[in-house]
Amino acid sequence: MSDSPIIEVQHITKRFKGLTAVKDVSFSIKEGAITGMIGPNGAGKSTTFNMICGYYPPTEGQIFFRGQDITSKKAHEYTNMKIARTFQIMKPLKNLSVLENVMASAYFGHAAAKNEREAKEKAMEVLQFTGLYEKRHVISKDMGTPDQKRLEMARALVTSPELLFLDENMAGLNPAETEAAIQLIRKINESGVTIFLIEHIMQAVVSLCEEVIVLHHGEKIAEGTPEQVMNDPYVMEVYLGTKKEDAAHA
Amino acid sequence: MAEKKRAVRIYHRNLAMVLGLILLVFILIPVFVKSPYVLNVFVLVFYMSTLSMAWNLLGGMTGQNSLGHAAYMGLGAYACCLLITKTGANPWLAAIFGMVVVGLVAGIIFYPCFILKGPYFTLVSIAFGEALRQFIINSSFFGRASGIGLPFGKDSWLDFRFGSKVPYYYVGLIMVLGVYLLMKKIERSRMGYALRTIREDEDAAAAIGINPTRYKIMAVVVSAMVAALVGFFYASYIRYIDPELMVQAKSTESVLPAVVGGAAYVEGPLVGGLIMIPLSEFLRAKYSAILPGINMLMYAVALLAVIRFRPAGILGWYMHSNVKTFIDTKLLRKPSVDVLEEVELAQYHKEEV
Amino acid sequence: MSTFLQACVNGLLMGGFYSLMGMGQNVIFGVMKIVNFCHGEMLMVGMYLTYILWSVCGLDPYLCVPIVAVLMFCLGGLIQHTLITPSLGTKSFTNLLFLTVGLGLLLSNGALVLFGSEYRTITTAYSQTNIGLGPVTLPLPRLISFGVLIVISVALFAFLKYSTTGKQIRAVSQNSVGAEVVGINTKKIYILTYGLGTALAGVAGALLTGFYTIFPTAGASFGFRALIVVVVGGLGSIPGAFLAGIFLGLLETMVALFISPSYSDLIVFVTFIVILVVRQTVIIRRK
Repeated sequence: MSDSPIIEVQHITKRFKGLTAVKDVSFSIKEGAITGMIGPNGAGKSTTFNMICGYYPPTEGQIFFRGQDITSKKAHEYTNMKIARTFQIMKPLKNLSVLENVMASAYFGHAAAKNEREAKEKAMEVLQFTGLYEKRHVISKDMGTPDQKRLEMARALVTSPELLFLDENMAGLNPAETEAAIQLIRKINESGVTIFLIEHIMQAVVSLCEEVIVLHHGEKIAEGTPEQVMNDPYVMEVYLGTKKEDAAHA
Repeated sequence: MAEKKRAVRIYHRNLAMVLGLILLVFILIPVFVKSPYVLNVFVLVFYMSTLSMAWNLLGGMTGQNSLGHAAYMGLGAYACCLLITKTGANPWLAAIFGMVVVGLVAGIIFYPCFILKGPYFTLVSIAFGEALRQFIINSSFFGRASGIGLPFGKDSWLDFRFGSKVPYYYVGLIMVLGVYLLMKKIERSRMGYALRTIREDEDAAAAIGINPTRYKIMAVVVSAMVAALVGFFYASYIRYIDPELMVQAKSTESVLPAVVGGAAYVEGPLVGGLIMIPLSEFLRAKYSAILPGINMLMYAVALLAVIRFRPAGILGWYMHSNVKTFIDTKLLRKPSVDVLEEVELAQYHKEEV
Repeated sequence: MSTFLQACVNGLLMGGFYSLMGMGQNVIFGVMKIVNFCHGEMLMVGMYLTYILWSVCGLDPYLCVPIVAVLMFCLGGLIQHTLITPSLGTKSFTNLLFLTVGLGLLLSNGALVLFGSEYRTITTAYSQTNIGLGPVTLPLPRLISFGVLIVISVALFAFLKYSTTGKQIRAVSQNSVGAEVVGINTKKIYILTYGLGTALAGVAGALLTGFYTIFPTAGASFGFRALIVVVVGGLGSIPGAFLAGIFLGLLETMVALFISPSYSDLIVFVTFIVILVVRQTVIIRRK
């Protein structure tokens, strides 16, 4: 684990027809760590996330992956660079089994399977790792939210990423399911995958992340360890602030 | 383990027997059925099902609802006929020529069109088909509205020209089987998984490293080439083509077998074709002289009934029915998925050792 | 010069029908996001209804317009309730597409069974009346039809903009879930919308009968042109649809005048493809 950042975001700004969704945000993601991004609804988290993942180009600013400028890379080129992501709204192949879903992903990325057998073997491995092995023959649309979230992760993991982006992977889970998801994310990180996640659930962020970035109204307002961030007066204000203070910052 | 292996072997044997039996029936039909009318219906089933499979690759598997497949078929037929009549080329070579031309045209024309999603893609495919038809009607090179005829002559395999319907029956059968195997192969390949991921969600597809545009172009090119092959077959069979071949209604007809059979399945167009085309022909023969339009009216009612009450098509319904469970367990003796998988994985290990 | 002016007027008069068809399609597409592939057949049904009312009851075709509108509204509502709404639940675009295609087949072949394939016309006392206006001649039926459809277009625009139901329709077309949350009965709006779209097509058919032949596939070319109008005029925009329809009518007559009548379809379709692709490219670039 080196100290050099795996991702470096420099002054990115995104404007949609005059509305500035993200304004001059810079931060870096440490290799091997779990970094979190938090912020109230509409803070620009997803926009930032989508820019880093190549879904839309930033209006201004640059993004570097291991020193290489990836600002203009297309979304589909990311798994070849060993970067994978999940979606907040699960997007499985609804009518295929869990195994087939993971196999579909195994065919792509930098370590793409060359044939059906290789795809199946890789898929089986990831299914065991993510705890979906027993349910591999279930049709994915028939599964509950927790398992679908797991499937999202399995589909990303089977492309053998070194950097994994997780978009609200615990939204809609109950405390026990959240705990299981936290365990899984930690396990993925321990296997050597750097993780960057957006999360609303504070418990998860505090227990997982080494570093946290806080966005509010499209701007970065704090970063540091979870303790530092949680004790930051402005962050407390944003999260727990009264009406008057909210108005002052709007 | 040995027992499980035996169970799987028995299942595979049973499956092969049933499929072999079905194939045997189709091979033997012309031996026992001499009526040209009935044979014609079968030839129609073969080429319409093939065209529908071509559509299904793009529509069913990739989720791009094209309504312009008659244009690919027509363009393929025109390319073949023009090469034959203008240069005297061999029809089989002309078939390859036609497929290449149509593949290129589809790839180039649709490259910019794939930024259009959902209904807009459908609209552009209709407009493309109509524009092509209007172009042909206005072009003396293409023979304008009067079309092109292929020369008649002695029966010959070299020229793919026969008085009897039997050779067309067998070539049609080979075509439908070949295209079916190709589609099955694509479904289980990297391309098949890519296409189905794109159908579900293009963003999710891009996230795992699929270039949606590239795979959609691949799908449209393969689909158009198969349609061109059907066009060649049609032209050789009917020996006359005109722009009517490419009207909008023909594109619609080419999709119906897939929708009725079940567009999510490679076999859907075959099942739909085997049911809908004989039905349509039967209604036409029986009623169209008495009351014009009644055949298509009943056809439309059948279509609406399937969409309204069996939205996943006939196969979609079958896949979740007790009939399938009965056939699988009682007739084919299909072992459980776990047993099948265990044996498959064991097979892998044996190959490794 | 006079032929040019005459062509302009002809294009304008025909374009009005494309506008009216486009507006109906626009409302349906806007609210349910489905392409109504039987829109042209609905026009044809409107024509035959007018024909029946004229030949059986002896009604003047223009007096038939309100009756046809009501009948078509009921037909559309019925189709929506029994066929389309249940299929909306499957969320399968392919199925919805072929549902309307199947309806089109049903209607055009139903007409063939009932009326046969012969061409029918409605003749009135003023069928052959022409009005001279400088260098151009205006057939009276076309002129009346055009006037009526302008009135209908304005009424439709006002209805969608100011009435409560119109506002509800626009709300559903922007966000059906949101509309449901604020208490709008979306199923009812669907029925109203499809009924309204169908009625507009039927009215267009009724207005056409004064000078157009009636046959089972009379609606086909209007059906596709309605789609062009929706796409070119912009989703949800009634003035846009109106202008696009006029533009399409003028384009057709200009091509016929300056190039050749046989090229008008080709150029219409190619223009359509180019507009679609260019517009989408611009949208993506802007993102």
